Amino acid sequence: MKQLKDDSNNHSNTEDTLTDLALLRLIQIHDSAFPIGSFTQTYGMETYIQEDVIRTKEDLVAYCTSFLFQNLVRGDAILIQEAYAAAQEQDIERLLYLEQLCGAIKLAKESREASVKLGRQFIKTVSPLGTDDFLADWKARIDLKEIKGHYAILYGIYSATTGVSAHHAVMTYLFASLNGLVQNAVRAVPFGQTTGVQTTYELIGQVTEAADLVATLTEADISNNALGIELASMKHEYLFSRLFIS
Amino acid sequence: MPHVFQQPPLKASRELYEGKDPTATVYIMESSGGMVAGDRNDITVKLAPDSSVRLVQQSALKIYPSHTGDTCVQTINVQIGERARLEWMPEVIIPFVDAKYRGDTTLRIASDATILWGEIVAPGREKRGEIFDYQSFHTNFKIFVDDELIAFDSLHFSPKEVALGGIGVLEDAMYIGSIWLVSPKATDVDVRAMQETLRVEEGLRAGMTRLEGNAIHCRWLAVDQWTMQEEMKRIYALLAEIV
Repeated sequence: MKQLKDDSNNHSNTEDTLTDLALLRLIQIHDSAFPIGSFTQTYGMETYIQEDVIRTKEDLVAYCTSFLFQNLVRGDAILIQEAYAAAQEQDIERLLYLEQLCGAIKLAKESREASVKLGRQFIKTVSPLGTDDFLADWKARIDLKEIKGHYAILYGIYSATTGVSAHHAVMTYLFASLNGLVQNAVRAVPFGQTTGVQTTYELIGQVTEAADLVATLTEADISNNALGIELASMKHEYLFSRLFIS
Repeated sequence: MPHVFQQPPLKASRELYEGKDPTATVYIMESSGGMVAGDRNDITVKLAPDSSVRLVQQSALKIYPSHTGDTCVQTINVQIGERARLEWMPEVIIPFVDAKYRGDTTLRIASDATILWGEIVAPGREKRGEIFDYQSFHTNFKIFVDDELIAFDSLHFSPKEVALGGIGVLEDAMYIGSIWLVSPKATDVDVRAMQETLRVEEGLRAGMTRLEGNAIHCRWLAVDQWTMQEEMKRIYALLAEIV
């Protein structure tokens, strides 16, 4: 089996440089044209839009900030970081546990299913690139239905195998998640493209702050205080008309 | 009840039966009146296969101000054998001003067993104007079905550091209600139909969802405790009847 890089098992490696290759690989997987469907997920935001709670750019920034710090940072982001470290150690037991945990923290059925849907599309898309044996083994477990294949875990493993640092992997994941939300809000509220661009621009500072915070957190910090968003995600399942999958 | 071990201030009542119903009702009593700085409550409940139990907490769990800075810890471990059934009626946890609380609840359930579990979290002694004045409230709630972790609900509230009123967090809500159901008969519950009957009004929000396997979760966020509690009782009774 291919030996993985072991130079960045340090969770606080915020200063490490990103190689050109790793940078472009990150940009590619977060491109809206990368066919994994992340741009069809709103994780409950559509309920807020339909209930007319998100109407202005300020509302959207506030919503994204809550989602970022109260959900993503203390959920998927920690799991990515942990999966990244476990993949470097090739610790299958740990990854299997993290995979279960990733599903268990997503109480709303839609969020949980979205996580699996994205994960499966992601692995389906990256595995023909033949990047790594360890990732191929993980895919085999999904194919054998041994595991569900949650996106955050796969993304953590993939990042560990491509030479991206955990810090950059987490930071771009956070950015892409918020950018996806903003793009969907532009269509659903609707906002003009300029408003969308301004919103994302405003959120960038918080994304870097959030990524630095994640580096200081561990599994013990996993929590979800964003109960309003979770409730909205539960309700979204039963909305009469909806634009987005989750 | 074949085995009971208890140490003050925690006490379990004798088992009580209602008519011919084989369900044993046991009251869990806390004689001290509440948890004070650094107090620790450990509750372990084991249900033998085919048994049926209803556990009732006698009163709300009050967490007093942490004058020493120590955190009060309550650990509840529940193990439910094959085909057994446990109902845990929701009671309120009230963290007073400056309280520090940590709760760890782990339910381990056989896949053909049934559990109906409820919980309510208050913002403090609201009527005295104590609203989110506590220091910290950290709870981890886990459900394992045949060793598979199917739900992990974790709240880490430190309202003095991060306000809880933001959009997507608690917004205007002060009370959090949760009901958890695991049962082979959970598939008989029409979640969509029940979700539509959930009372939703100004200051009361609710949601219902299916967890992995035969499990259902309902959550409430409310401004008013009594409205929420009445609604929770209604859903709790409905679910208890179905399973």
